[in-house]
Amino acid sequence: MAVNHTDPSARPLRLSPAARTGARLVRSFAERETKALYKRNLLGWLWSLLKPLTTVAVYSLVFGVIYRATAPPTANGQAEVFALYLFSGLVVWNVFSTIVNGSMRWMDGVSELRKKIYFPTETALVGGAAATLLQSSLEALVLVLIMAVLVNVSWTVVFLPVAMLLAALFALGLGFAAAIVNARYRDIQHLTTIVLSVGFFMVPIVYTPDIVPDRAYGLPVARIVELNPLNSVIAVARDAVYFLETPDVADLATAAAWAIGTFAVGLAFFRRRSMAISEEP
Amino acid sequence: MNEPARAPVQAVEVSDVSKRFRLELNRPTSVKEAVLSFGRRDVRHLWALRDVSLTIEKGSFFGLVGHNGSGKSTLLRLMAGIHRPTSGRITARGRVSALLELGSGFHPELTGRENVFLNGAMLGLSRRQMASAMNDIIEFSGVGDQIDAPVKIYSSGMYMRLGFSVAVNVEPEILLVDEVIAVGDEEFQQRCLQHMERLRSGGTTIVLVSHDTALVRDLCDHVGWLDGGHLRSVGDPDEVVDAYLVHATEPT
Ligand SMILES: Nc1ncnc2c1ncn2[C@@H]1O[C@H](COP(=O)(O)OP(=O)(O)OP(=O)(O)O)[C@@H](O)[C@H]1O
Ligand SMILES: [Mg+2]
Repeated sequence: MAVNHTDPSARPLRLSPAARTGARLVRSFAERETKALYKRNLLGWLWSLLKPLTTVAVYSLVFGVIYRATAPPTANGQAEVFALYLFSGLVVWNVFSTIVNGSMRWMDGVSELRKKIYFPTETALVGGAAATLLQSSLEALVLVLIMAVLVNVSWTVVFLPVAMLLAALFALGLGFAAAIVNARYRDIQHLTTIVLSVGFFMVPIVYTPDIVPDRAYGLPVARIVELNPLNSVIAVARDAVYFLETPDVADLATAAAWAIGTFAVGLAFFRRRSMAISEEP
Repeated sequence: MNEPARAPVQAVEVSDVSKRFRLELNRPTSVKEAVLSFGRRDVRHLWALRDVSLTIEKGSFFGLVGHNGSGKSTLLRLMAGIHRPTSGRITARGRVSALLELGSGFHPELTGRENVFLNGAMLGLSRRQMASAMNDIIEFSGVGDQIDAPVKIYSSGMYMRLGFSVAVNVEPEILLVDEVIAVGDEEFQQRCLQHMERLRSGGTTIVLVSHDTALVRDLCDHVGWLDGGHLRSVGDPDEVVDAYLVHATEPT
């Protein structure tokens, strides 16, 4: 609908009124999600670390200790800690899976509201994603602190937030689509959980890419892992905090192309379809 | 007819608007059901509005009357941008604040205060603007301390009072009101009417849907009558309301 709020005196560099409204809504939804998670106290924030740290501990125990998986050495060659290799990939994966799963919940959270008042519905999902990034940055901080204790940090760490942001964009693109489809077919959220749990093992998080066989059961396994869009994002994150190398330009470009492309397509699909959902009785 | 020297500003323009809803009976709600019910679908369409055209001048008080199900709420939702017309064009110039049915625009899990901020953001107001309006909003709504309780525990009257309070205190340019004042008590209804009068004299355009024809006659300067999705007539309040009442009491 054409609602004009044209202000001729507005300076050219300022956000348009629609963009400003969108930004405010994203912030509101992000705050709401953050508050719901942590009830605004420090213990809540620490609590949020429990799940990722438990995951790291369990997988390190199973794969590192029981199966004796070894991680490649870190940049300074000091640490060959499987848990840290795992953690550096897991940080990115958590951003991805939390946003894909959350998108459907964030959509459901506002769909009744959207039937009564107009607002760009995608802001609820973007807000949820922003809250997820904030929460994950705490995980990332813990990871970097541990690395600092092991004297394994470098300026390349700036690429870790880049990788997380790209994972978030990629996840939002998929989340936009999942939220729309889930609004009609309620079992999509269960199917998504299944797909994500399979997806987790299709990216080199609990294993190193070099141990993947070329072919297994007639499938080009190595190729599948290599072509997985998340593979390059995780490679960027690993380079940033584990190997302390400037990420491979090809990895960065691939990750960015997937992230931006998926986000743009998902958003376009979401905008086309979300209006119809607000009309469902 | 020639263009008048100073054309009145149109706050709302509705041109040839039709709205069709899709109704699907026994719609599959899961992939599983969709697969099992393969191909068998029962889709119907319902025209809630048919070729409606009208313009509402800036600063006027426009009333909408019509039987239940005639499309009044649908037209307001289109003006508020909640739905999009199936065909035709609808333009609303300025900030639209809508008060449609009970509890409109509140998220049940959030507190009253949080909802006020969220509503403000949706209407394009900054937090600072909302914060400065907050005291007025709380005072007018009369919810008192419960402003910091989740709105799901509010009584229907409180819900509506807070909703109205937000809608009128955000300085809307266009205010859409759908049959909600009736829920409040006598005193609150009076205050609502005073508030609407105040806004109107400040230049706000108001569109009111009501089954209270006496109120419509009293307040409105233009009235539209919707009948089965068609705009039967639009114009002078007394004429339109009379025609509607004659039609309403006719044996069918
Ligand atoms: N979201 C929707 N999906 C399907 N049909 C709808 C939807 N909203 C309204 N309708 C249908 O459109 C028609 C017009 O409804 P509307 O709510 O606009 O009527 P109304 O004039 O406001 O009635 P009332 O006086 O009872 O409030 C009705 O037949 C209604 O069933
Ligand atoms: Mg109605």
